[in-house]
Amino acid sequence: MSTYVYGITRSSHPALPEKADGVGDPPRPVRVITHGGVAALVSDAPENLRPKRRDLLAHQNVLGEAGEAGTVLPLRFGGVSPDDDAVLAVLREREAHYLERLTSLDGKVEYNVKAAHDEEAVLHQVLVDNPDLRALSQDHRATGGGTYEQKLALGERVAAAVKHREARDAVLVQEALEGAAVECRPGPEGTGRLVNLSFLVERDHAGAFSDAVDALRREHGHLVLQVNGPLPPYSFVE
Amino acid sequence: MTVDTRSTPGGSGGSSGLYDVLELVLDRGLVIDAFVRVSLVGIEILKVDVRVVVASVDTYLRFAEACNRLDLETGRKAPAQLTDVVDDMTESGARGKTRGALQGAAQTVSETLGRSSSRQQKKEEQEK
Repeated sequence: MSTYVYGITRSSHPALPEKADGVGDPPRPVRVITHGGVAALVSDAPENLRPKRRDLLAHQNVLGEAGEAGTVLPLRFGGVSPDDDAVLAVLREREAHYLERLTSLDGKVEYNVKAAHDEEAVLHQVLVDNPDLRALSQDHRATGGGTYEQKLALGERVAAAVKHREARDAVLVQEALEGAAVECRPGPEGTGRLVNLSFLVERDHAGAFSDAVDALRREHGHLVLQVNGPLPPYSFVE
Repeated sequence: MTVDTRSTPGGSGGSSGLYDVLELVLDRGLVIDAFVRVSLVGIEILKVDVRVVVASVDTYLRFAEACNRLDLETGRKAPAQLTDVVDDMTESGARGKTRGALQGAAQTVSETLGRSSSRQQKKEEQEK
Protein backbone atom coordinates (compact mmCIF):
# COMPACT_ATOMS: atom_id res chain seq x y z
CA MET A 1 0.00 0.00 0.00
CA SER A 2 1.57 3.29 -1.07
CA THR A 3 1.40 6.35 1.14
CA TYR A 4 0.06 9.77 0.24
CA VAL A 5 1.93 12.68 1.86
CA TYR A 6 0.28 16.04 2.66
CA GLY A 7 2.94 17.96 4.47
CA ILE A 8 5.69 18.06 7.03
CA THR A 9 5.53 19.66 10.42
CA ARG A 10 7.08 19.37 13.86
CA SER A 11 6.30 16.35 15.97
CA SER A 12 5.54 18.86 18.73
CA HIS A 13 2.73 20.40 16.65
CA PRO A 14 -0.10 20.85 19.17
CA ALA A 15 -3.07 19.84 16.99
CA LEU A 16 -2.16 17.46 14.19
CA PRO A 17 -5.24 16.70 12.08
CA GLU A 18 -5.09 13.01 12.82
CA LYS A 19 -8.05 11.02 11.44
CA ALA A 20 -9.13 14.01 9.33
CA ASP A 21 -10.58 13.18 5.90
CA GLY A 22 -7.81 12.78 3.36
CA VAL A 23 -7.79 12.04 -0.34
CA GLY A 24 -9.82 9.26 -1.94
CA ASP A 25 -13.42 8.16 -2.04
CA PRO A 26 -14.22 7.18 0.62
CA PRO A 27 -11.70 9.59 2.23
CA ARG A 28 -8.64 7.89 3.70
CA PRO A 29 -8.03 9.01 7.29
CA VAL A 30 -4.95 11.11 7.96
CA ARG A 31 -2.13 9.50 9.93
CA VAL A 32 1.10 10.86 11.37
CA ILE A 33 4.57 9.44 10.83
CA THR A 34 7.09 10.83 13.28
CA HIS A 35 10.84 10.86 13.39
CA GLY A 36 12.62 12.89 16.06
CA GLY A 37 11.52 16.52 15.79
CA VAL A 38 9.60 16.19 12.54
CA ALA A 39 6.35 14.55 11.50
CA ALA A 40 4.74 13.80 8.16
CA LEU A 41 0.99 14.02 7.64
CA VAL A 42 0.04 11.05 5.48
CA SER A 43 -2.78 8.72 4.58
CA ASP A 44 -3.09 5.58 2.54
CA ALA A 45 -2.94 6.48 -1.14
CA PRO A 46 -6.03 5.44 -3.08
CA GLU A 47 -5.52 3.40 -6.22
CA ASN A 48 -5.51 5.53 -9.36
CA LEU A 49 -5.45 8.82 -7.51
CA ARG A 50 -6.30 11.65 -9.89
CA PRO A 51 -6.31 15.39 -9.33
CA LYS A 52 -10.02 15.55 -8.85
CA ARG A 53 -11.54 18.51 -7.16
CA ARG A 54 -12.51 16.61 -4.04
CA ASP A 55 -8.98 15.28 -3.68
CA LEU A 56 -7.38 18.67 -4.19
CA LEU A 57 -9.75 20.04 -1.59
CA ALA A 58 -8.95 17.26 0.84
CA HIS A 59 -5.25 18.00 0.43
CA GLN A 60 -5.84 21.69 1.08
CA ASN A 61 -8.16 21.03 4.02
CA VAL A 62 -5.69 18.77 5.81
CA LEU A 63 -2.95 21.37 5.39
CA GLY A 64 -5.24 24.25 6.24
CA GLU A 65 -6.24 22.57 9.46
CA ALA A 66 -2.66 21.76 10.38
CA GLY A 67 -1.58 25.28 9.49
CA GLU A 68 -4.05 26.89 11.84
CA ALA A 69 -2.38 25.55 14.94
CA GLY A 70 1.25 25.40 13.89
CA THR A 71 3.73 25.71 11.08
CA VAL A 72 3.54 23.20 8.27
CA LEU A 73 5.53 22.68 5.09
CA PRO A 74 2.84 21.92 2.52
CA LEU A 75 3.66 19.38 -0.16
CA ARG A 76 2.46 19.93 -3.68
CA PHE A 77 -0.60 17.85 -4.49
CA GLY A 78 0.10 14.33 -5.61
CA GLY A 79 3.20 13.24 -3.69
CA VAL A 80 3.01 9.49 -3.22
CA SER A 81 5.60 7.44 -1.35
CA PRO A 82 6.01 3.70 -1.99
CA ASP A 83 5.24 3.02 1.68
CA ASP A 84 5.47 4.43 5.23
CA ASP A 85 9.08 3.32 5.58
CA ALA A 86 10.12 5.45 2.64
CA VAL A 87 8.47 8.47 4.30
CA LEU A 88 10.35 7.69 7.50
CA ALA A 89 13.60 7.48 5.56
CA VAL A 90 13.01 10.95 4.10
CA LEU A 91 12.25 12.39 7.54
CA ARG A 92 15.38 10.78 8.98
CA GLU A 93 17.57 12.07 6.19
CA ARG A 94 16.19 15.60 6.08
CA GLU A 95 15.11 16.28 9.67
CA ALA A 96 17.55 19.15 10.20
CA HIS A 97 16.66 20.76 6.89
CA TYR A 98 12.92 20.59 7.54
CA LEU A 99 13.31 21.95 11.06
CA GLU A 100 15.28 24.84 9.68
CA ARG A 101 12.59 25.56 7.07
CA LEU A 102 9.84 25.28 9.70
CA THR A 103 11.65 27.75 11.93
CA SER A 104 12.00 30.25 9.11
CA LEU A 105 8.26 30.04 8.40
CA ASP A 106 7.08 30.13 12.01
CA GLY A 107 4.28 32.62 12.53
CA LYS A 108 3.96 33.33 8.81
CA VAL A 109 1.14 32.62 6.40
CA GLU A 110 0.61 33.01 2.69
CA TYR A 111 -1.83 35.38 1.06
CA ASN A 112 -2.40 34.99 -2.66
CA VAL A 113 -3.52 38.08 -4.48
CA LYS A 114 -4.81 38.21 -8.01
CA ALA A 115 -5.76 41.39 -9.75
CA ALA A 116 -7.77 41.95 -12.87
CA HIS A 117 -9.24 45.02 -14.45
CA ASP A 118 -12.83 46.03 -14.15
CA GLU A 119 -13.36 46.21 -17.87
CA GLU A 120 -15.66 49.16 -18.02
CA ALA A 121 -13.59 51.18 -15.58
CA VAL A 122 -10.33 50.49 -17.37
CA LEU A 123 -11.79 51.28 -20.78
CA HIS A 124 -13.04 54.51 -19.36
CA GLN A 125 -9.55 55.36 -18.10
CA VAL A 126 -7.99 54.43 -21.41
CA LEU A 127 -10.34 56.77 -23.24
CA VAL A 128 -9.80 59.57 -20.76
CA ASP A 129 -6.02 59.22 -21.08
CA ASN A 130 -5.92 58.87 -24.86
CA PRO A 131 -7.56 61.77 -26.68
CA ASP A 132 -7.02 60.10 -30.04
CA LEU A 133 -8.85 56.96 -29.04
CA ARG A 134 -11.58 58.95 -27.41
CA ALA A 135 -12.09 60.98 -30.55
CA LEU A 136 -12.19 57.83 -32.64
CA SER A 137 -14.67 56.17 -30.34
CA GLN A 138 -16.97 59.14 -30.24
CA ASP A 139 -16.69 59.39 -33.96
CA HIS A 140 -17.97 55.85 -34.28
CA ARG A 141 -20.66 56.51 -31.79
CA ALA A 142 -21.88 59.41 -33.81
CA THR A 143 -22.23 57.19 -36.84
CA GLY A 144 -24.04 54.46 -35.01
CA GLY A 145 -21.02 52.39 -34.02
CA GLY A 146 -18.75 52.55 -37.03
CA THR A 147 -18.08 49.93 -39.65
CA TYR A 148 -16.69 46.50 -38.87
CA GLU A 149 -13.23 47.60 -39.99
CA GLN A 150 -13.41 50.77 -37.94
CA LYS A 151 -14.40 48.81 -34.86
CA LEU A 152 -11.53 46.39 -35.36
CA ALA A 153 -9.05 49.20 -35.76
CA LEU A 154 -10.31 51.00 -32.67
CA GLY A 155 -10.56 47.81 -30.64
CA GLU A 156 -7.01 46.82 -31.50
CA ARG A 157 -5.64 50.13 -30.30
CA VAL A 158 -7.77 50.03 -27.17
CA ALA A 159 -6.60 46.49 -26.42
CA ALA A 160 -2.98 47.63 -26.73
CA ALA A 161 -3.64 50.49 -24.34
CA VAL A 162 -5.32 48.14 -21.87
CA LYS A 163 -2.34 45.76 -22.02
CA HIS A 164 0.00 48.62 -21.35
CA ARG A 165 -2.06 49.55 -18.33
CA GLU A 166 -2.04 45.95 -17.13
CA ALA A 167 1.74 45.98 -16.95
CA ARG A 168 1.69 49.25 -15.06
CA ASP A 169 -0.96 48.08 -12.62
CA ALA A 170 0.90 44.83 -11.95
CA VAL A 171 3.76 46.88 -10.57
CA LEU A 172 1.34 49.07 -8.70
CA VAL A 173 -0.25 46.11 -6.90
CA GLN A 174 3.08 44.62 -5.90
CA GLU A 175 4.45 47.89 -4.62
CA ALA A 176 1.29 48.65 -2.69
CA LEU A 177 1.32 45.34 -0.82
CA GLU A 178 4.90 44.17 -0.43
CA GLY A 179 5.53 46.66 2.35
CA ALA A 180 3.09 44.77 4.55
CA ALA A 181 4.69 41.38 3.75
CA VAL A 182 7.92 39.59 4.57
CA GLU A 183 8.35 38.27 1.05
CA CYS A 184 6.60 38.29 -2.29
CA ARG A 185 6.73 35.68 -5.04
CA PRO A 186 4.94 35.35 -8.34
CA GLY A 187 2.01 32.94 -8.39
CA PRO A 188 1.57 30.17 -10.95
CA GLU A 189 1.50 31.24 -14.56
CA GLY A 190 -1.95 31.84 -15.85
CA THR A 191 -3.93 34.00 -18.13
CA GLY A 192 -6.67 36.43 -17.45
CA ARG A 193 -5.26 38.44 -14.65
CA LEU A 194 -2.83 41.23 -14.74
CA VAL A 195 -0.96 39.96 -11.74
CA ASN A 196 -0.86 36.88 -9.53
CA LEU A 197 1.31 37.24 -6.45
CA SER A 198 1.79 35.36 -3.22
CA PHE A 199 2.83 37.24 -0.13
CA LEU A 200 4.37 35.77 2.99
CA VAL A 201 2.85 37.67 5.87
CA GLU A 202 3.50 37.60 9.60
CA ARG A 203 0.33 36.19 11.10
CA ASP A 204 0.40 38.99 13.67
CA HIS A 205 0.54 41.57 10.90
CA ALA A 206 -2.29 40.13 8.83
CA GLY A 207 -4.42 43.13 9.77
CA ALA A 208 -1.91 45.54 8.26
CA PHE A 209 -1.83 43.47 5.09
CA SER A 210 -5.63 43.55 4.83
CA ASP A 211 -5.53 47.30 5.38
CA ALA A 212 -3.08 47.65 2.49
CA VAL A 213 -5.41 45.62 0.27
CA ASP A 214 -8.38 47.75 1.29
CA ALA A 215 -6.49 50.94 0.58
CA LEU A 216 -5.50 49.64 -2.85
CA ARG A 217 -9.13 48.79 -3.59
CA ARG A 218 -10.27 52.19 -2.45
CA GLU A 219 -7.71 54.16 -4.38
CA HIS A 220 -7.87 52.16 -7.60
CA GLY A 221 -11.45 51.30 -8.32
CA HIS A 222 -10.61 49.86 -11.72
CA LEU A 223 -8.75 46.96 -10.07
CA VAL A 224 -10.62 43.83 -9.11
CA LEU A 225 -8.60 42.18 -6.35
CA GLN A 226 -9.06 38.63 -5.23
CA VAL A 227 -7.31 37.77 -2.00
CA ASN A 228 -6.99 34.27 -0.59
CA GLY A 229 -5.51 33.57 2.77
CA PRO A 230 -4.30 32.83 5.29
CA LEU A 231 -2.95 29.74 3.56
CA PRO A 232 -0.14 27.32 4.33
CA PRO A 233 3.00 28.78 2.74
CA TYR A 234 2.77 26.83 -0.53
CA SER A 235 4.83 29.36 -2.43
CA PHE A 236 7.60 29.69 0.13
CA VAL A 237 8.76 26.16 0.86
CA GLU A 238 11.18 25.61 -2.00
CA MET B 1 0.41 21.83 -16.73
CA THR B 2 -2.33 23.94 -18.14
CA VAL B 3 -5.23 25.23 -16.17
CA ASP B 4 -8.19 26.00 -18.32
CA THR B 5 -9.10 29.56 -17.54
CA ARG B 6 -11.52 30.21 -20.32
CA SER B 7 -14.61 28.84 -18.76
CA THR B 8 -17.16 30.52 -16.68
CA PRO B 9 -18.40 29.81 -13.18
CA GLY B 10 -21.53 27.80 -12.85
CA GLY B 11 -20.68 24.45 -11.36
CA SER B 12 -18.30 26.18 -9.03
CA GLY B 13 -20.95 27.48 -6.69
CA GLY B 14 -19.51 30.93 -7.07
CA SER B 15 -16.38 29.99 -5.18
CA SER B 16 -13.79 31.13 -7.66
CA GLY B 17 -11.54 31.74 -4.67
CA LEU B 18 -11.44 28.01 -4.17
CA TYR B 19 -9.90 27.54 -7.58
CA ASP B 20 -7.30 30.13 -6.87
CA VAL B 21 -6.23 28.12 -3.87
CA LEU B 22 -6.28 24.83 -5.76
CA GLU B 23 -3.95 26.36 -8.31
CA LEU B 24 -1.39 26.75 -5.53
CA VAL B 25 -2.05 23.22 -4.31
CA LEU B 26 -1.23 21.95 -7.79
CA ASP B 27 1.61 24.21 -8.71
CA ARG B 28 3.36 25.21 -5.52
CA GLY B 29 4.40 23.35 -2.41
CA LEU B 30 7.25 21.09 -1.54
CA VAL B 31 8.22 18.35 -3.98
CA ILE B 32 10.18 15.46 -2.50
CA ASP B 33 12.31 13.62 -5.00
CA ALA B 34 11.89 10.27 -3.31
CA PHE B 35 8.14 10.36 -3.91
CA VAL B 36 6.27 9.75 -7.12
CA ARG B 37 3.88 12.42 -8.27
CA VAL B 38 0.39 11.66 -9.40
CA SER B 39 -0.12 12.38 -13.05
CA LEU B 40 -1.76 15.72 -13.63
CA VAL B 41 -3.24 14.85 -16.97
CA GLY B 42 -6.83 15.92 -17.19
CA ILE B 43 -6.44 18.86 -14.91
CA GLU B 44 -8.96 20.92 -16.85
CA ILE B 45 -11.41 20.24 -14.05
CA LEU B 46 -10.10 23.51 -12.74
CA LYS B 47 -12.18 26.34 -14.05
CA VAL B 48 -11.51 29.93 -13.33
CA ASP B 49 -13.69 32.78 -14.34
CA VAL B 50 -11.37 35.44 -15.59
CA ARG B 51 -11.28 38.13 -18.17
CA VAL B 52 -8.51 37.87 -20.65
CA VAL B 53 -7.12 40.51 -22.91
CA VAL B 54 -6.30 38.39 -25.90
CA ALA B 55 -5.26 39.77 -29.21
CA SER B 56 -8.28 38.57 -31.10
CA VAL B 57 -10.98 39.89 -33.32
CA ASP B 58 -13.54 39.12 -30.63
CA THR B 59 -11.70 41.20 -28.08
CA TYR B 60 -11.25 44.09 -30.46
CA LEU B 61 -14.93 44.15 -31.33
CA ARG B 62 -15.94 43.82 -27.71
CA PHE B 63 -13.69 46.69 -26.68
CA ALA B 64 -14.80 48.91 -29.53
CA GLU B 65 -18.43 48.34 -28.71
CA ALA B 66 -17.87 48.82 -24.99
CA CYS B 67 -16.08 52.10 -25.71
CA ASN B 68 -18.98 53.22 -27.83
CA ARG B 69 -21.33 52.57 -24.95
CA LEU B 70 -19.20 54.45 -22.45
CA ASP B 71 -20.48 57.86 -21.61
CA LEU B 72 -17.50 60.10 -21.27
CA GLU B 73 -18.94 62.64 -18.96
CA THR B 74 -17.81 65.03 -16.40
CA GLY B 75 -17.19 68.15 -18.37
CA ARG B 76 -13.53 68.24 -17.48
CA LYS B 77 -11.13 68.73 -20.30
CA ALA B 78 -13.87 70.43 -22.21
CA PRO B 79 -12.49 71.88 -25.40
CA ALA B 80 -11.85 75.57 -25.44
CA GLN B 81 -14.10 76.29 -28.34
CA LEU B 82 -17.01 74.26 -27.22
CA THR B 83 -19.57 76.09 -29.28
CA ASP B 84 -17.68 75.53 -32.48
CA VAL B 85 -17.41 71.86 -31.79
CA VAL B 86 -21.10 71.56 -31.04
CA ASP B 87 -22.05 73.33 -34.22
CA ASP B 88 -19.65 71.29 -36.22
CA MET B 89 -20.85 68.04 -34.75
CA THR B 90 -24.49 68.76 -35.03
CA GLU B 91 -24.02 69.60 -38.61
CA SER B 92 -22.02 66.48 -39.27
CA GLY B 93 -24.46 64.35 -37.34
CA ALA B 94 -27.30 65.74 -39.38
CA ARG B 95 -25.53 64.64 -42.52
CA GLY B 96 -25.12 61.18 -41.07
CA LYS B 97 -21.35 61.29 -40.96
CA THR B 98 -18.75 62.78 -38.68
CA ARG B 99 -15.31 64.18 -38.93
CA GLY B 100 -13.79 63.05 -35.70
CA ALA B 101 -13.59 66.33 -33.84
CA LEU B 102 -15.33 65.04 -30.75
CA GLN B 103 -12.17 64.90 -28.75
CA GLY B 104 -12.64 66.23 -25.26
CA ALA B 105 -16.31 66.87 -25.66
CA ALA B 106 -18.21 67.64 -22.50
CA GLN B 107 -21.06 65.50 -21.34
CA THR B 108 -23.76 67.71 -22.70
CA VAL B 109 -22.21 67.58 -26.08
CA SER B 110 -21.85 63.85 -26.25
CA GLU B 111 -25.33 63.29 -24.89
CA THR B 112 -26.90 65.61 -27.38
CA LEU B 113 -24.93 64.08 -30.13
CA GLY B 114 -25.66 60.55 -28.95
CA ARG B 115 -29.36 61.23 -29.02
CA SER B 116 -29.39 62.94 -32.33
CA SER B 117 -27.24 60.32 -33.99
CA SER B 118 -29.30 57.47 -32.64
CA ARG B 119 -32.43 59.18 -33.88
CA GLN B 120 -30.71 59.66 -37.16
CA GLN B 121 -29.77 56.02 -37.22
CA LYS B 122 -33.29 54.89 -36.49
CA LYS B 123 -34.63 57.13 -39.18
CA GLU B 124 -32.19 55.69 -41.65
CA GLU B 125 -33.12 52.20 -40.64
CA GLN B 126 -36.77 52.93 -41.14
CA GLU B 127 -36.08 54.35 -44.52
CA LYS B 128 -34.30 51.23 -45.65
